[in-house]
Amino acid sequence: MFARVVWLVLRKDLTVEVRSLEIAYTTLFFAVSCVLVFAFALVREGRAPEDGAAGILWISIAFAGTLALGRAFERERQSETLRALLLAPAARPAIYVGKLLGIVALLAACEIVLVPLVALLFQAPLLAQPLWLAIVLLAGTIGFAAVGTLFAAMLVRARTRDVLLPVLLYPITVPVIIAGVRATATLLQPELDMDSVRFWLALLGCFDVVFVTLALWTFEPLMTD
Amino acid sequence: MMKRLCLSLFVIVAVSAAAARGPLRPALLFAQQPQQQDEFIPIDQLPPQDQLPAAPLLVTAYSFVVLALFAYLISVARRLGVVQRELDRLQSDARRGRT
Amino acid sequence: MPKWFLPLAIVCGLMFAVAPILIANAPYESTMGLVQKIFYVHLPSALIFLLAAVVCGVASVRYLFGGNPRHDRIAWAAAELVVLFGIITLVTGPLWARKAWGVWWQWDVRLTASLMGWMVAVAYLLLRKYGGPGSDKLAAGLALFGMANVPFIYISVNYWRTIHPTTNVLPTLPVSMGFPVWFTFATFFLLFILLLRMRVRLEEQRAQLDALYLSVDA
Repeated sequence: MFARVVWLVLRKDLTVEVRSLEIAYTTLFFAVSCVLVFAFALVREGRAPEDGAAGILWISIAFAGTLALGRAFERERQSETLRALLLAPAARPAIYVGKLLGIVALLAACEIVLVPLVALLFQAPLLAQPLWLAIVLLAGTIGFAAVGTLFAAMLVRARTRDVLLPVLLYPITVPVIIAGVRATATLLQPELDMDSVRFWLALLGCFDVVFVTLALWTFEPLMTD
Repeated sequence: MMKRLCLSLFVIVAVSAAAARGPLRPALLFAQQPQQQDEFIPIDQLPPQDQLPAAPLLVTAYSFVVLALFAYLISVARRLGVVQRELDRLQSDARRGRT
Repeated sequence: MPKWFLPLAIVCGLMFAVAPILIANAPYESTMGLVQKIFYVHLPSALIFLLAAVVCGVASVRYLFGGNPRHDRIAWAAAELVVLFGIITLVTGPLWARKAWGVWWQWDVRLTASLMGWMVAVAYLLLRKYGGPGSDKLAAGLALFGMANVPFIYISVNYWRTIHPTTNVLPTLPVSMGFPVWFTFATFFLLFILLLRMRVRLEEQRAQLDALYLSVDA
């Protein structure tokens, strides 16, 4: 029953998104602009800083993710489907997980474009360890989206929701960003230090588990207004 | 069912935290070491002209503590005063029968 | 105000008067000299910063799942105290570090996590002030995540090699240094209780004001 609700919510979100691709295109373009702004700002004598790739990748994902979260729930609010979702006889945590997976899918689509772009612009061997990079990106995105989905859903009826989402989101997700950047930077080193990557990945996993657990626990009381 | 899920997730967190601690510390020590040696020089090994006088820092720190605590105290007292005055005004209005 | 407030305030005031004498009489630390005396305010304020974050988190959980507005008031008051004691810790720390470590700031685990915890408290206050209706429950959710950060801040310094002293320093202090620091901690703790009670009273008065407005309009 739980899995069925998750699948239904996820399918609904993906169907709506695929029909218009509004959030996908705008988020992707914003993320690309972000990377370009960083490239122009940090380029010196025509060469980009060598160690900047990991940080810039994750910052772009964080900014694009905040935008996508805001837009996704704004769409729910405008079409009043959020109230319908809450009135449905479905477990609230299942609705949360469905929304979370939708956001993760959206961000994953952005990352597929961002990673080669950052690798190109900053001459970083991001694609040297594709499997490990994919795992790191997935773990970090889940952690970021877990907190983001909860806060974006909470804020959908608040007055100053657009500016409050980043204000609330970034301090909480800083550990996830730091772990993600350090793991990615370690993967970019010429001599691979797998112990270090595994450590940062374990830390990311811990954050994911803690954040998702806390979000599942609080989604119900927070959405019963 | 939810409680069981949460409990199991917390167990996973505890186990992974305990597991991550042991064998990976040496790796992290190695990762952090070069950075530490570059930046930290014990203060008594610096030449005399680089050494800072401690008194201004100490005085600034203690003054800041006192000022911050006072500022907060005054802020709360002021806000209490505003609300109290408003309450008194409203109560006297209500007593006089005005709405 | 309750009966215990004034006597406790007098005791706290006296303790504040005595504390500098104890701190001045404490022995100098061998490598850092005079600047180490900042420790006697830095450590207690850091502990109260963490304590206030835990109080805020626990009160928020009780408010989220219980709905009693009293817990919400305690949570809001505790969040303001997190910001207050956090800013004291984050200013006295670098002032000490400038002389002891040679740098104002280091992006090591404890400092970064403390700064982020402080920013979560600031975000809480911004949400309460500008969030509009329903922001009490949202802020409670935020405070819960902030509280999860607290044990991480405390133990992080034992598992990562950082420039910040580990928690082993506290139990191994000599009595001549231990007594002033724990005395100052007791003073700050009393102050925390008093400020919390004052701030909760402010919210109680505001709630009374709202109720009075509603009854007058009806």
